[in-house]
Amino acid sequence: MLILFLVLFPLAAAPLSYGIGRRSKRGRDAFAVAVGALELGLALAAFLQRHGQLELPGLCGQKLLLELDGFRSVYVCVIALMWFVTLLFSPEYNLHHHNRNRYYFFNLMTLGATMGVFLAGDLFTAFVFFEIMSFTSFPWVIQEETPGAIKAGNTYLAVAVIGGLVALMGLFLLQTKLGTTQIDALYALAAACEDKGSLYLAGACVLFGFGAKAGMFPLHIWLPKAHPVAPAPASALLSGVLTKSGIWGILAISCNIFRADPAWGTVLLVLGCVTMFLGALLALFSVDLKRTLACSSMSQIGFILVGIGTMGLLGAENALAARGALLHMLNHSLFKLLLFLCAGVVYMNLHCLDLNEIRGFGRGKPLLQTAFLLGALGIGGIPLLNGYISKTLLHEGIVEAAAEYGWTLKLVEWVFLCSGGLTLAYMTKLYVAIFLEKHPKKQEDYDARRRYMDPASTLALCLAAIPLPVLGLSASWSMNALADIGTDFFHSGALAHAVHFYAWENLKGALISVAIGAAVYLLIVRKLLMKNGAYRNCWPSRLDLEELLYRPLLLHGLPAFFGAIAALFGENRILAPLSRALLRLASILVHAVCDLTDALILLLRNTVYRTRTLHQEDEVRDTLMYRLGKDVDAIEIRLGREQKGQTRYAQLFYRAYRTFRETSIRITGNLSFALFMLTAAICLIFFYIIVLQ
Amino acid sequence: MKPILLLLAVLLPMSAGVLLCIIKLKTDRAIKAFTAVATLSTSALTWALILHCPNESITLLHFAERLAVVFRFDALGRFFAGILATLWPITVLYAFSYMEHEQRRQSFFGFFTICFGVALGISMSGNLFTMYIFYELLTLATTPLVIHTLTKKAVNAAKTYLVFSLGGAAFVFAAMIFLISNGAYGEFHFGGLLTRYPYDNANITQIFYLLGFLGFGVKAAIFPLHVWLPRASVAPTPVTALLHAVAVVKAGVFAVMRLTYFSFGTALLKGGWVQSVVMSVAIFTILFGASKAVREPHWKRRLVYSTVANLSYILFGVTMMTEAGFTAALMHMAFHACVKILAFFCAGAVLCRTGRELVTQLDGLGRRMPRSFAAFTVAALALTGIPPLNCFVSKWQLLTAAADSENPLAYVGAGVLLLAALLTAIYMLSTVRRAWFPSKETDLSALEGIRDADWRMVVPFVILSLGVLLTGLFATPILHAAQQIAQGR
Repeated sequence: MLILFLVLFPLAAAPLSYGIGRRSKRGRDAFAVAVGALELGLALAAFLQRHGQLELPGLCGQKLLLELDGFRSVYVCVIALMWFVTLLFSPEYNLHHHNRNRYYFFNLMTLGATMGVFLAGDLFTAFVFFEIMSFTSFPWVIQEETPGAIKAGNTYLAVAVIGGLVALMGLFLLQTKLGTTQIDALYALAAACEDKGSLYLAGACVLFGFGAKAGMFPLHIWLPKAHPVAPAPASALLSGVLTKSGIWGILAISCNIFRADPAWGTVLLVLGCVTMFLGALLALFSVDLKRTLACSSMSQIGFILVGIGTMGLLGAENALAARGALLHMLNHSLFKLLLFLCAGVVYMNLHCLDLNEIRGFGRGKPLLQTAFLLGALGIGGIPLLNGYISKTLLHEGIVEAAAEYGWTLKLVEWVFLCSGGLTLAYMTKLYVAIFLEKHPKKQEDYDARRRYMDPASTLALCLAAIPLPVLGLSASWSMNALADIGTDFFHSGALAHAVHFYAWENLKGALISVAIGAAVYLLIVRKLLMKNGAYRNCWPSRLDLEELLYRPLLLHGLPAFFGAIAALFGENRILAPLSRALLRLASILVHAVCDLTDALILLLRNTVYRTRTLHQEDEVRDTLMYRLGKDVDAIEIRLGREQKGQTRYAQLFYRAYRTFRETSIRITGNLSFALFMLTAAICLIFFYIIVLQ
Repeated sequence: MKPILLLLAVLLPMSAGVLLCIIKLKTDRAIKAFTAVATLSTSALTWALILHCPNESITLLHFAERLAVVFRFDALGRFFAGILATLWPITVLYAFSYMEHEQRRQSFFGFFTICFGVALGISMSGNLFTMYIFYELLTLATTPLVIHTLTKKAVNAAKTYLVFSLGGAAFVFAAMIFLISNGAYGEFHFGGLLTRYPYDNANITQIFYLLGFLGFGVKAAIFPLHVWLPRASVAPTPVTALLHAVAVVKAGVFAVMRLTYFSFGTALLKGGWVQSVVMSVAIFTILFGASKAVREPHWKRRLVYSTVANLSYILFGVTMMTEAGFTAALMHMAFHACVKILAFFCAGAVLCRTGRELVTQLDGLGRRMPRSFAAFTVAALALTGIPPLNCFVSKWQLLTAAADSENPLAYVGAGVLLLAALLTAIYMLSTVRRAWFPSKETDLSALEGIRDADWRMVVPFVILSLGVLLTGLFATPILHAAQQIAQGR
C-alpha cells in the first residue's frame, strides 16, 4: 500500500495544488512544501520497509507492477529529499514568474511519475510512468516562454517522443521474445533465449530510449539546452533525478538481460567515455553558469555509464564497479541539487547567468560560498567529500578491468582521470569567477546585497549542502551501508575485500586528477579562454550535433521523404488523372448510349414524324457538323435538286449536334462514375454467372 | 426483452427524424427538446437492449427464399451499438451549442437523428442483405448533412461522397451476390457462411472478397478511395466528429469485419494472396494518412487525415485475421472513436468562437480557450499513444497481435505503426505546442475578447477526457468484451 501511496499521493495532490493556487498563492506554496515533506516521510518509511511488491491487475490493458527493494528504497528517499528541498526553494525563486500554478501542478505530477518509474517492477510499468514523466516535465523547460525556452522545449519534446517510441519498440521486442518484461525474470529468460540477435536489438532500442533521457552521447542534445532555460529548481530535478531515471532503465537491462556480458559492457564503456569526456570539455568551454552545470551533468552521467560498462566487462567480480556506479548516481543527484540551487540564488538576484556579468556576486556571502565550494569540491572528487568515494570505487573498477583486458582499459583509465581533471578545472573556473574575481562595474552593487535570499531558501540550501560532508566523512560506514543496501538491484558479485579509501593507491588517482585540473585551469582557461580578463566562448558555434545533423534530418529529410510519398500518391499526381481518365471513359460510354438513342429519335423524326420547315438559325457556328451539312447541301446543288432554304442540311446537322451535346452533358455530369461502376459490377456478375456457373 | 424491440430502436429515431424534417416546430427550444428526447430515449433503449436482449434473430420480411430482412443483436453488433449509443447523446449536446451559428437547424437535427437509427440498424442487422440495405441508407441519410451549408464546396463534397459511396456499393453488391449464390445467405455466423466452395478454386473467392473489401473500404477510407473524406470536412463539426470519425467510417470498418469474419470466414482467406493485398493497402494507408496529416495546414482536414490513418490501424488488425488482431482492432475502434470525437469537438469549438481554421492561426489560443485546448491536449496525447491514455492500450495490443501473427507483412506493419506514431506526435503535438506556447512574434492582443466554449461544449469535453483516461487505465472490461467477440462467443 505504501508503494502505491508514494506514487499516487503526488499525482492526486497536483490538481489540488492547482485548485488552491487559484485562491491563494501562499496557500499553494505551503501546500506544495507540505506535500514534499509528507512524501519525504513516506519515502523514509519505505526505506525502513525495503521490501514489497504490489500488482495492479487490469490497468492499461495489462497489469502494473510496483516493487520496493534496497536500491529503490534508497533512491526513493533521494528523490523525495530533492523534491522537498526544491519545493522549499521554489516560492522565492518563482516570485516574479508567471504561470506558477502550472509550474506547481506539473511539478507534483512529475514527482508521482518519477516515483512510478523508479518503483516499477517491470519495464512496461516503467515505460508508462516514463512517458508521463517526459510530458509533465515538458512545461518546466518551457516555463519561461522565451524564444530560447521554446526552442529548447521543442528539442526536449522531440527527444522525449522519439526516445519513448524507440524504447517502446525495444520493450515490445522483449515482450514478444521473452514473454514478459518483469525485471526479476529477465535474466533467466534471456539466458534461455536462443535468439540473441533480437535481444541485442531490443537492448539497443531500450538503451536508445532511456539513454536519451539520461543524456548519453549522441542523444545528449537536449540537456545543455533545456537546463539553462528551465527554472533553477526544475533544472536541479531534471539533472539530478530525471537523467537518473534514464540510468535506471539502462541498469534494468544491463544488470539482467546483459548481466556480465562483455560485448554489452564494451558498448556502454565506449559511449560512457565519449559522454564523460565530451561533457567535461563542453562544460569547460561554456561561459554560462547553468549551461556549465548542465554539461557537467552530462559528463557525470558518463562516469556512471563507465561504471555500468565495467560491470559488464568484469563478469562476476564486478562489486566495485557496481558500488561505484550506485554511489556516483546518488552523489551526483546531491551535487547537482546543491549546485543548481546556488545557480538559482545567483539568477534570482541578478536575472543573468553569463559568467562575465555575474562575476564577483559571491564575494562576502559566506553561506553561498561554502555551499558552492562543497558542491564544487565534491563533484571534483576531492578527498573527505562524498564524490571522492564514488570516483575511487569507479577508478578501482577500471583498474581491475585493466588487469584483465590490458591497454585499452588503461586508455579508459586515463580518459577517466582526464575527465576528472577537467571537472575540477571547470568548477574552479566557476568558483573563481563568482567568488574571487571582481566585477569591473557593478561590484559595489553586488557587495551591497546582503539579504540575497529568504529563510526558506536558506534552509533549502543548507539541507542540500549538509549531506555532502556528512556522507564524505562517515564514508566507511554510511556510504558502505548504502552501497550494501542498494546494490541488490545490480545483481553484482560479492565484494572480495574491503576498500581502503585513503590508501595511497587511491589517493594517487585523485592527485593525478587534481594535477591535470590545475594544469588545465592555468594553461587553458586562464590563457586561452580568457581575453582581457573576460571569459570568451571559444567553442565553435557550428559544432552542434543538433544543428548539424538532427534538425536537418528531422525537419527536412523526413518531411521531404514523406512529403514525396504523399505528393507522389497524392490526389494531384495519380488519383486525379486516374479518376479523370475513368470519368472520360465513362462519359464516352454514356455518350455512345445516349447518342445512339438520340440518333434513333432523330431518325424517327426525319422519317415518320417528319417536320416540315426549319427556321433560319440566328447563330450558326463553324462546327464540323455544320460544315458536313454544307457539304451535303453542296452535293445536292451539284446534283441539281431544287431547294427552298439555303442551308438546309447544315442547320439540321448542327441542331443534331447541339442536342447530342446538351443531353450528354446533363447525364454525364453527376452520376456517370457511379453508373459506370454499377455497369462494371453487373458485367462482372453476369460474366461470373454465365461463364463460370 | 424481446428481440422485436430491436426494430423499435431503429425505427424510433428514424421516424422522429422524419417527423422533425416534416413538421415545422416554432421555437429553437422545441427542436432541441424534441431531438434530445428522441436521442436519449433511443440511447437508453439501445443500452437496455445491449444488456438484456437475447441473442435471437427476428425475421421481418422474406423477399425470396434467399433474401430476408433479419435483425439480430450479437456480440459484435452490441459492441458497435454501444459505441454509438454512448457517443451520440454527447454529440447532440455539443451540437446544440455549435449549431447556434448555423442555418436550417431543424432539418439538420432531423437528418442527424435519422442517421442514428440507420447506424443502429447496421449494428443490429442479422444478415448481409439487411446490412447492405442499412449501409446504403446511411449513405443517403448523411448526404444532406454534408451538403448542409449549401456552399459550392459543400455541394461538390456531397457529390464526391455520393459518387464514391455508390461506386463502392456496386462492388459490395457483386460480393454480396457471390456470397448469396454460394449459400451464404443465412444469418451471420462467426467463422464464415460459405457452404459451397466454388470450383475448388480459391482465387474466385478471393477476388470477390477483394471486391467486397474495396467496396466497404470506401467508407473505411482506404487509400485510393479516401478522397471523399477530407472533402466532406466542410460539413458542420458535429457531423465531421460523429459521422466522419465514428458512425459512417466505423460502419465501413464494421462491415469489413462482418465480411471477413462472419461471411467469408478467415479459414478461406488467411494466408491467401488477398490477405497480403488488403493488409498492404491498410499499411500503406496508415503511412499515407499520417504523412498527409503532417503536411496539412487546415486543422479539421489534418484531423481527417489522421482518421484515415487510424481507420487503417483498425483494418490492419482486422486483416491479420487472428484472434488477437481482431481484438486489437475492436479496441482501437472504440478508443479511437472517443479520442477523435474529442479532438474534433475542440477544433469545432475554436472554429465556432473565432472562425480560425488553420493550424498556423492557433498561436496563443490556449490561454483564451483553456478548457477547449486542455481537452485537445488530452486527445493529442492519447492519439500519440502516451500511456496511460486509451490509445496506448489498443496500439500495444495491435503491436503484440502483429508480432504474434507470424505474418512477415505484419512485422512490416508493426514498424509502420511506430513510424506513424512518430508522425502522429509531430502533427498533434505541434498543434498543442502552438496553442499553449506561442512564439514571441504572435500578436496576442488580437485574441482579446475571445470566449471559451460554453457549458454545452465543456460537458462533452469533460466526459470524453475522463473517458479517454479511464478507459485507458481500466481497459480490462473492454478487452474482455473484444476478446469474446474475437473468439466467436
